[in-house]
Amino acid sequence: MTTDATAGVRPAGYALVRAGRGRFLLHRRAAVVAGSLALVLAGVCVAYLCVGESSVPPAEVLKVLFGQPSANELVVGTLRLPRMTVGLLVGAAFAVAGALIQTVARNPLASPDIIGVSQGASALTVGAMTFGITSYAVLPYLSVAGGVLAAALVYAFAWRGGLHATRFVLIGIGFAIALRSITHLFLTKGDYLVAQQAQIWMTGSLNGRGWDEAAPLAWVLLAMLPAVLWATRAQRSVSLDDDTATALGVRLGRVRLGLVLTGVVLASVATGTAGPVDFVALLAPQIARRMTRTAQIPLLCSALTGALVVVLADLLAKRLLSPTELPVGVLTAAVGAPYLIWLIVKGRTGGKA
Amino acid sequence: MRAATSHPRRALVTRRIGWTAAAVAALLLSVLLSLAVGARTTAPSEVIDVLLHGGHSDAAEVVRTMRVPRTLIGLMVGAALALAGTVLQGITRNPIADPGILGISQGASVGVVLAIAFAGIHSLSGYVWFAFAGAALASVAVYAVAASGRGGATPVKLALGGAAINALLASVTMAVLTTQAAALDEFRFWQVGSVAGRDAEVVGQIWPFLLAGVVLVASVARGLDALALGEDVAKGLGQNVATVRIVGGIGATVLTGAGVAAAGTIAFVGLAVPHIARAIVGSDHRWVLPMAALIGPVMLLVSDVVGRIVFPPGEVPAGVMTALIGVPFLVALVRRKAVPA
Repeated sequence: MTTDATAGVRPAGYALVRAGRGRFLLHRRAAVVAGSLALVLAGVCVAYLCVGESSVPPAEVLKVLFGQPSANELVVGTLRLPRMTVGLLVGAAFAVAGALIQTVARNPLASPDIIGVSQGASALTVGAMTFGITSYAVLPYLSVAGGVLAAALVYAFAWRGGLHATRFVLIGIGFAIALRSITHLFLTKGDYLVAQQAQIWMTGSLNGRGWDEAAPLAWVLLAMLPAVLWATRAQRSVSLDDDTATALGVRLGRVRLGLVLTGVVLASVATGTAGPVDFVALLAPQIARRMTRTAQIPLLCSALTGALVVVLADLLAKRLLSPTELPVGVLTAAVGAPYLIWLIVKGRTGGKA
Repeated sequence: MRAATSHPRRALVTRRIGWTAAAVAALLLSVLLSLAVGARTTAPSEVIDVLLHGGHSDAAEVVRTMRVPRTLIGLMVGAALALAGTVLQGITRNPIADPGILGISQGASVGVVLAIAFAGIHSLSGYVWFAFAGAALASVAVYAVAASGRGGATPVKLALGGAAINALLASVTMAVLTTQAAALDEFRFWQVGSVAGRDAEVVGQIWPFLLAGVVLVASVARGLDALALGEDVAKGLGQNVATVRIVGGIGATVLTGAGVAAAGTIAFVGLAVPHIARAIVGSDHRWVLPMAALIGPVMLLVSDVVGRIVFPPGEVPAGVMTALIGVPFLVALVRRKAVPA
């Protein structure tokens, strides 16, 4: 087995990228998938900006996007663009959160709603609604607080000289169900107008979201970017079994805490903005992984998939029963699940998670 | 060698028998509580007297017409969901598998939502068949997805297929509920899960299914043990893996359908009870299944009883109390020992 020293060792399916003196491996298939996803996403975004109560030709949309004067400035730039931006960011945030939590839990069924983030957010928010706090100036902060609090509780209870993946997931799901029960209790105690409003919030909706919601979300996500970049590398060490990782000198406890924390913050902020649009976090990472066929869940492709699912779902939610607008959460699963099912049916990876 | 291993083995059997006896005692106690406690509390001696000799006092009427059916439903639903959860965790080899996450409960919910919204059905005994049909269709869909493609119905494909179908069905439920306010108003009370207000008719509708489910599940106990060692080992041990999955899956579906139809979506029992049972008697399914069938009703009946007295004069539905009471037990047991994943 002689390898050309200058070529380096290239595992199958990887390309060696040189940048100056640095070298890194690029998974070819993942790169192709990411590129294709980005193209499709761009197309869907233009379509999103074109379609609505009044149709705008694509050329005009591009004009607005590139800051040229256009008669459609109001419809495209002021009404549709900010809402779409929120959709993109929320989708990407949920997907990355789901990917990280699935990695730590080593379980494809794990997601932020498995470890209580969504339920904590819902319990606090719906509780507040039941007691007459319905202002959207307050509710997002409550749901972020609820999500982080719930996850912190789960982490504290699951920690015992380390974070065992199964223990973490089980205790998380126990808390999640308990918190959901409390939410249901609030729902049956309130009158049905509150129940209806709560139901829409719990389904997840982008109605009436604009720059006011997009800006803080974008800043938080930007601030989280270093953590996510770190996570792409850290993911690999956690996916090994505990003994191997420890033998290789990985500080499992810290790495897991970092990954969970990143995922929880992303999911909480996204929940605060749009409500718990749950299935994005569950479906997007698995869709991305089955497309790239990588060993770990690919974060960039997950983010793109999540963004695509949410924007596409919102486009359908706006137009399907127009003038009635459905909450986006009704359709995220309807958009994402069939594709995942198709990937499973057509799948070439039988036994892999 | 054999002499050396026989002693711990005997200790294990003794422990299992001891715990099973304790669980039976706990079950009898919770049944008695469920018959005695409520807005009008009856003395246990009086309850037993009513059960044995009848009578027509007010207390006797309350016990006979309201608490006996309620207790029976609690017993049946608790056992059904616990058994279903145990089997599903065994089939998918996933510790967080339960009827909820695999879409079976969601299928039942879709059936009920559609019945309320479009078929004009507004009675519990009317819901039952729709819940059943929904659960059955969901299970068939999950298995069809998982079994297609390469490698057949592997645990991972079953779990992911279940999650995908669950998501799809949830969006159907949400679509109806967000567009039909009246349906939401009715559905939110069913969704919470409760064993109250069911009459003897529901018991009569449910028990044949429960019996069939128990028989199916019991027949695959050894197969689940083999499956826990991995598919190849299971095949090597002479188990037909596909048969174990299909028979176990049908059993779990029938049980879930019966449980959800009778009491709505009670989430926690199917997930937590199998883990609690395994923590007590080990991983042998011939012990875990009976243990789960004992603990499930205890958890549900105790939750129901606590729900009756915790916020008088109203009641907290059993579906809500179950998780609130069960979580401490789950946390304590899961923290106590390494969980067999």
